[in-house]
Amino acid sequence: MAAITKVWRTALVALGLVALAGAAAAQQSTPPGAELYELCAQCHGERGEGNQVVLAPAIAGLQEWYVVAQVRNFKGGLRGTHPADVAGLRMHPMALALETDEELKAVSAYVASLPPVYPEPTVEGGDAERGAQLYGTCVACHGPDGAGNEALGSPRLYQANDWYLLSSLQRYKNGVRASNPANANAQVMLGIAGTLADEQAMKDVVAYIMSLRK
Amino acid sequence: MLERIPSVIDVLVPQASTYAGDIDGLFTIILVSVGIWFFASEIVFFWLIFRFRKKDGVRAQYVSGEKQSEKKWVTYPHLAILLFDVLIVVAAVRVWYDIKQDLPPAERTVRVIGQQWAWTFVHPGPDGEIDTADDIAKVNELHVEVDRLHHYKLESKDVLHNFSVPVFRLKQDAIPGRVITGWFTPTKTGEWDVQCAEICGVGHGLMGARIHIETAEQHAAWMAQESPLQLAANAAQKQEEE
Repeated sequence: MAAITKVWRTALVALGLVALAGAAAAQQSTPPGAELYELCAQCHGERGEGNQVVLAPAIAGLQEWYVVAQVRNFKGGLRGTHPADVAGLRMHPMALALETDEELKAVSAYVASLPPVYPEPTVEGGDAERGAQLYGTCVACHGPDGAGNEALGSPRLYQANDWYLLSSLQRYKNGVRASNPANANAQVMLGIAGTLADEQAMKDVVAYIMSLRK
Repeated sequence: MLERIPSVIDVLVPQASTYAGDIDGLFTIILVSVGIWFFASEIVFFWLIFRFRKKDGVRAQYVSGEKQSEKKWVTYPHLAILLFDVLIVVAAVRVWYDIKQDLPPAERTVRVIGQQWAWTFVHPGPDGEIDTADDIAKVNELHVEVDRLHHYKLESKDVLHNFSVPVFRLKQDAIPGRVITGWFTPTKTGEWDVQCAEICGVGHGLMGARIHIETAEQHAAWMAQESPLQLAANAAQKQEEE
């Protein structure tokens, strides 16, 4: 009887050690980006699903180059420094919390590695058919399928929240998201958003972009 | 009056407003009052421990604290501390009145808007008035003129914040839905910190800004350069040149 107990005890200790070793190995293989992402998760959610209440869009699975570029913009004051940019002003200090470019790249890689969530549309009143015509202006950079073009710095569109696309167009048009002339891509969008006559036109084009999801 | 009391705080953080010395003086009064009683009580305490330490042939005595001769060890220090409290309260109320209750007439007014996690400062343009077309709005950058009495109109766009300017010894809560008016007069030129002193979310620790205290000439030059009307004129001129 005592011998059996001893065997069991040894087996349990061995199992515990294996589990500990496994946990330690898992700890080591965890990318530092996941740890850094804990700060982002406060608003963007653990899965990068976003939270409209705090104006945080879904970011899971965005193109890595785009995330790197935008976080660098926030950090360098090229984006998120206009007094009326409520959401951008939140991101500026958050980007400053990433002390090195390695940290910035690591967290961006982690964001890009998260499975995309394709948030449900929430903006009402958009006409995708009318939007298809208006989208003709966007094709040159974002492509006919909205997949984006890294060479031009144009991100994939159909993955974003529709409310975020709408608010971005509004902020481009009134100069809030293109307030720094040094942000060349934003300056392009300032001109493009200016061609959309009103909010209805913006909703239409956003509705069309949402229809591009496969 | 309080500003004449020497302070050690300004060795670490300079005084750059008319009332910074009063606040530091108040701290000194509290430090000295509390310090005197701290050392007095510790000296008596350790003396009693030493004086009535264990001795052969002497039994420990139970002190009930009912006799007048025993009670006076509590009563007299208590009364003396109350006296010191009155001194602190009188000094504090005077300082509080001067800084928070009294509102001297403004020479300049700036709007201070807190939000997660940035400060927006709306400065008057060359017309000297806020809420006009030539206002200069800046994020995390406050420009004021030395020796001018400024009013600030403090607002919050979202949650509680606190407008804190350490060199002014100024702290004021910003409360959503309210516009809180206060004042300061800068006395020393230079660039100093502005911070948020009320936990306001995950970015609270990064909600820092800078205050630039400028001479009249420097301030006028900054205003001329940043005025929206001037910026528009510059842009128009650039376009013409192109």
